[in-house]
Amino acid sequence: MLDVERLSIHFEDRGRREEAVKNVSFQLADGKILGIVGESGSGKTMTALTIAGLKKQRAVIDGGSVCLDGVDLLTLDDAQLRSVQGARIGMIFQEPMSALNPTMKIGKQLEEVLVLHAKLSKEERRNKVFAAMEDVELENPRELYEKYPHELSGGMRQRAMLAAAIVCRPKLLIADEPTTALDVQTQDGILGLLKKLNQKYGMSILFISHNLRVVEKLCGRVLVMKSGEVVEEGSVEAIFGNPQTEYTRELIAAIPDACGKNWKDGATVEQDEAVAEEIAVWQGEAVADENAMEKDVLEPKKVLEVCHLNAYYREGRVRRQILQDVSFTLHEGEIVGLVGGSGSGKTTLCKCVLGLLKEYDGVVIHHTKRPQMVFQDPYGSLNPRKTIGWILEEPLKVQGGFSKEERRRKAEEMLERVHLPKEFYKRYPKELSGGQRQRVSIATALMTGTKFILADEPLSALDVTVQAQMIELLKELQEKEKICYLFVSHDLDVVHLLCDRVLKVEGKTVTSMYG
Amino acid sequence: MARCSTSLADMVLYRGSYLMKYKGHSHNFTLGLGITVFMVALILLGFLWTPYEPDAMQGSLKLNAPSLLHLFGTDQFGRDIFSRVLVGAGSTLVIAAGTILIGGLAGVALGAVCGYFGGWLDEGVMRVCDALAAFPSVLLALVIISIAGSGKYKVMVALGIAFIPSFARIVRGEFMRLREADFVIGARLIGVPTPRILFVHILPNILPSLLSALAIGFNNAALAEAGLSYLGIGVQPPDASLGRMLSESQTYLASGVWCAAFPGVFLVLLVLGVGLLGEGILDRFGGGR
Repeated sequence: MLDVERLSIHFEDRGRREEAVKNVSFQLADGKILGIVGESGSGKTMTALTIAGLKKQRAVIDGGSVCLDGVDLLTLDDAQLRSVQGARIGMIFQEPMSALNPTMKIGKQLEEVLVLHAKLSKEERRNKVFAAMEDVELENPRELYEKYPHELSGGMRQRAMLAAAIVCRPKLLIADEPTTALDVQTQDGILGLLKKLNQKYGMSILFISHNLRVVEKLCGRVLVMKSGEVVEEGSVEAIFGNPQTEYTRELIAAIPDACGKNWKDGATVEQDEAVAEEIAVWQGEAVADENAMEKDVLEPKKVLEVCHLNAYYREGRVRRQILQDVSFTLHEGEIVGLVGGSGSGKTTLCKCVLGLLKEYDGVVIHHTKRPQMVFQDPYGSLNPRKTIGWILEEPLKVQGGFSKEERRRKAEEMLERVHLPKEFYKRYPKELSGGQRQRVSIATALMTGTKFILADEPLSALDVTVQAQMIELLKELQEKEKICYLFVSHDLDVVHLLCDRVLKVEGKTVTSMYG
Repeated sequence: MARCSTSLADMVLYRGSYLMKYKGHSHNFTLGLGITVFMVALILLGFLWTPYEPDAMQGSLKLNAPSLLHLFGTDQFGRDIFSRVLVGAGSTLVIAAGTILIGGLAGVALGAVCGYFGGWLDEGVMRVCDALAAFPSVLLALVIISIAGSGKYKVMVALGIAFIPSFARIVRGEFMRLREADFVIGARLIGVPTPRILFVHILPNILPSLLSALAIGFNNAALAEAGLSYLGIGVQPPDASLGRMLSESQTYLASGVWCAAFPGVFLVLLVLGVGLLGEGILDRFGGGR
């Protein structure tokens, strides 16, 4: 049905030629789901956008063809292409908020696709829109029809975006990282939905992701891309069970998985039980350790105490309670996970802990100076106009009492401690990769001499191999410097792998899991 | 006359930015920079040396057409127009620069504080700015001058005050956008004192928008000054100013069109150069987004 033959695309960036996609070929048959995996820069998104006819003007096609049912999409002019987009190819993106028009009601946006591609009466269109909304399991379609995107929750917006993509029953749905920004429950919902649509309507899906676990759950066949080329291709069983190339093996090995077991679809329940067993063993050991420590009169130093915290959110006149009577203590050298679905209050708790939110009763005590934070988005967390050296030296300037040479020396030392070359002192953030920037963020946090770092999803924007390296770094710093981390994440595998214990935020309270 | 120059320059800029903008490299920037540097060089030359004394009247040479002796011709008093244009453009430059300096500094300070802190401070200051902005700048300058008296520097201060709201608004918007940025929160957590956060951490990130606004401000100030002088309020005779020259040459258009043409063209070129430069800065250095 979809036949991509030797597709090659390059970019001209200030006189330099960058090969984005090199000789990529693959097929997608009717009713099948194909996953394309790869790290950032692998060319997977560019390939997807080109198939959808959405490639940027700066990207130039060098050769190859993209045939949908025998018609080469690359040879079509604008008008012909537009008749294909929406009707025969649908696309969903990572960020539903930017994919939906904020000034248009949901119903109208869904109808628009029909207006463009089908000649139907107003009544028929409305019915089709309701049918599409039911397909994506949106409740109360009639009510939702009149709402605006900002009135919907994140998960609902994803579904609305999906509804808009499928309302014309396209033969091919292209999904570009649709689950990356979602927590696990919502992710599973969307994946289930895609599977259902595939089975019900025989719609083929091209699923782009850097998250191999998700691809393994959903897809029948997988394409692995690196630096614009196809590295390996095969069925899911073949690729994950018996990877042929070095790169594929690396990618799969880098997937964080607790207890060393391979994560397979349908094994969720058993895995949780197995994890619970292992944790029980850890608990036993941990208790024993604590006893031993107490005997030595070496009590782990407290770093953060939260006592009877009630947090509120002010919306105009109304004050809603987000957290109720939350208490916990964190100690030096602990890595504690913080999990909870979206909207559970995780972010509110973090803001209270850091002193960024003032609407709370209760006590938050820090036994360390200046609690620090590492953010989710490595691209916004460093001042784009300053050099890395300047960024690292700011905490020292705040403390005062350091000469210029001393500051420079300390900054370079810190770079080494996070395993970055000293030369980075002079570089600007835009010259660094995501993983390198996160290292700089961690280094800056350490410069303050703090013992507490709140890490807010620091790994979710990073590629799998880089994630693995960062986990090692965090562990190393925990051991060497006795840093306490509060690790916020919705990636349960990483949490199980990295954290000593886990705090779960649910229903306005925080419960401590596994000890 | 000033209004004619505005429309012409605007038209060229508008069309120009469609034709000349091109990915990455900015023709606007290079052209703008070229013209501006050229004009400023000429004006600086004028500060040091002019072919003739700008005020020297020579009865016998009244209204001579441009010639080798007098490049731009002479006016109704026999004064060399080229010299007068150089010196007049100098006045315009100083006044416009002074205006954006005053308006810019105050605007940035107010905008930064209002944008970052919000709340009552923001509301209060912005309402005052709104009131100020409700006056056309020329009218506001008139009011201030009627109190303080006219003259080159008073015009500068008056226009500077009139321009504060527009700079404040732009800067405020940018600070509002950036105050929740991760790197700003990070700086707060490190303990960086607030003034440093505002002016050392955030300000460099809004420079492209700010510089572009300053360029537009410069042009508006130059044209406002020309307008005021035309009305007889700004630079006083016998001092030269481009606007004043345009005003004085009105009666002599039939007999000596060069009396108006050269000051007019000079004004247009200056405004064009700075305008293209402003556009070019945005092209090349982005809006910070």
